[in-house]
Amino acid sequence: MTMNGETEENLRDLFEKFLNSEQAEQAVEDIQKGERILRGHTAPKPDGELITSIKAEIAASLLRKKENAFRRIVYKTMAVAAGFILLAAIGVKLFEKGRSEPERPASDSIIPKAVWESNRLADDNAESATLIAEVEQIESDLLAMQLGENGGNGHEAITELEMETELIEINSDFWKG
Amino acid sequence: MAKSNDLARIITGCKSGDAESFSEVVDIYASRFYGYFYRLTGNRETSDDLLSELFVKLVEKIGSFKGGSFESWLFKMASNIFYDYLRNKQRQKKSFEVQKSQFESEVTEAEEQSGSERIDELQTQLGRLDTDTRELIMLRFYSQASFKEIAAMRSEPIGTTLSKLHRGLKKLQKLME
Repeated sequence: MTMNGETEENLRDLFEKFLNSEQAEQAVEDIQKGERILRGHTAPKPDGELITSIKAEIAASLLRKKENAFRRIVYKTMAVAAGFILLAAIGVKLFEKGRSEPERPASDSIIPKAVWESNRLADDNAESATLIAEVEQIESDLLAMQLGENGGNGHEAITELEMETELIEINSDFWKG
Repeated sequence: MAKSNDLARIITGCKSGDAESFSEVVDIYASRFYGYFYRLTGNRETSDDLLSELFVKLVEKIGSFKGGSFESWLFKMASNIFYDYLRNKQRQKKSFEVQKSQFESEVTEAEEQSGSERIDELQTQLGRLDTDTRELIMLRFYSQASFKEIAAMRSEPIGTTLSKLHRGLKKLQKLME
């Protein structure tokens, strides 16, 4: 092993940047003498046992590193999955909030839900026809009573009241479905 | 030393977590880094620990290697590990002086253990240099990096690096006489 065997550095040129030519030459000589002293005294070598134990330690360290890397991947995946679930939950909530209720006509409050939501169109039409017929019947009865009003008596007045009551009941029954 | 193509393949393998590629890095660099740590600490046991720490850190940090000289990058890491070790020792002993005497006692301990006078002599004299100079000499010797690279590793001007190394080696030479 040499002090500058691999580096191909020109020590003299280097020293001449800081010292004059004579001093640089002396410095290079001093360094070369020191180099010879170091080369002449070999340091002990590591035991084979130490090398084996270092290699085993490296293998154990690599295993730990791999385990930690795997654990990190698992944690990251879990974190990402949790993030997705959270985002999905928030998305669903926002979608539900954003979805508007269908508009209902103003008469909704007085018309039973069953009628609006019923799919039995034929039945509903039949009921409507019955109602219309009954209303027409009552109207014609009322008209008949009004026509006989001038020559009427108290009994007729009671009949008129009964008719009105009946009309209200029919009306109420109809809306109840 | 590994050819640049081989090294590129090995580094790619390391980056993908291949244990075999790390083993190759250990085989290529263990001796050099062991020498570096041993010359800095003077203690085989500490050098064993620091070498193990270096390669375990390599496994952790390989992802942050963005190209350039792999050896310079590794030596920068080794240098940081050495200074961290020193700081920990200093924290334990509460003062640099105590640390220094501790280091010297470690050197003496190494002297007693090794039984080789030449190694001991260099180690003892290296212990008399200040930590920064000792580290610079060893960095240059074991990394074989250019002064430009070393200056960049140490975040100092190249002139400072040249001057410190020159003074350090000159002092070591005198101590070894």
